[in-house]
Amino acid sequence: MITAVQKPFEEIYQNIKGIEKLLVLGCGSCVTVCMAGGEKEVEILSSSIRLANRQNGLSMEVAEGTIERQCDREFFDSAKKMIDEADAVISMACGVGVQFLAEEFKGKVVFPALNTKFYGATDEQGVWSERCAGCGDCKLTDFGGICPVARCSKSLMNGPCGGSSEGMCEVDPETTPCGWQLIFDRMKELGQLEKLEKTHPPVDWSSGRDGGPGRIIREDVKL
Amino acid sequence: MPEITKTRKAVIFCCENSSLAVNAVKDTRLLEGFEQKVLPCSGKLEVGLILKCLEREHPFILVLACPLDNCKYLKGNMRARKRVDLANNICEEIGIGGGRVRMDYVSSLDAHKVERILKEVREQIQGGLI
Repeated sequence: MITAVQKPFEEIYQNIKGIEKLLVLGCGSCVTVCMAGGEKEVEILSSSIRLANRQNGLSMEVAEGTIERQCDREFFDSAKKMIDEADAVISMACGVGVQFLAEEFKGKVVFPALNTKFYGATDEQGVWSERCAGCGDCKLTDFGGICPVARCSKSLMNGPCGGSSEGMCEVDPETTPCGWQLIFDRMKELGQLEKLEKTHPPVDWSSGRDGGPGRIIREDVKL
Repeated sequence: MPEITKTRKAVIFCCENSSLAVNAVKDTRLLEGFEQKVLPCSGKLEVGLILKCLEREHPFILVLACPLDNCKYLKGNMRARKRVDLANNICEEIGIGGGRVRMDYVSSLDAHKVERILKEVREQIQGGLI
């Protein structure tokens, strides 16, 4: 899932000064799972804005709603009336949803309420960590299902580096395990340590972010 | 800060067990100005619900839960504690001041403790301390 955290309230509140009709719109997918921008968080942010407005003597109509996903056109239908009626929308989706909402409703002011972080998994309730960097050229087969691009702080394809100590990474020895230690342990468990003797060529970063904005075209499913 | 009135009472959210202590309060005048809402477990309390009460100008929110390590649903009181702390932090952050939400742990036999808590909350509100 795409993970995110809420921006500080002050930053969000600064953006909406002078707005008369505001809509806080949540997203029911990834950011609901990582407890950053779902229905509950919409309720909390909307109430916070209303309470802050009352405290500051401001009059602002604050509506709230949550749609299934903000990264698919179809789901905006159910919120179209609310969005049209608002002067501005605070999107509690990831960066994708914020941009897609702004594209779909041209002329509508859209503000982000979240800072989008990474593609991650839920380690335990309240703890999420990165698993994929979206590099566009998946090499998990060679590393026992552990990604050196996302899990190694330096994205080394031939590790570990000298900063690996007692299984932890020098970048954050308290909490971040060395990605290459994880790979070694996993390959040992699988009895495939000989695979690590192979030297891997440098990553072709052009298949990911360095190749410019990504685009996938599937002629077989296009209508 | 709104005062306790007949229409805007302070709210007590309590779990089924701590509600027994509230119902056993001998001096029922202490409960005047308080509105009791019983939840199956204090862990059902949501931050949004607390803020909604403050939005509706309820002057104070009191949360009563089972004693620590003695929650009927094991961790409900710990979840409630975190939500109460978050609600107070949000109140602080948005500029209306923290300390509007209080949480106490009471067992079903702690009616005397509830009486003391109700007195303290009333003094806090009437004294304009929140």
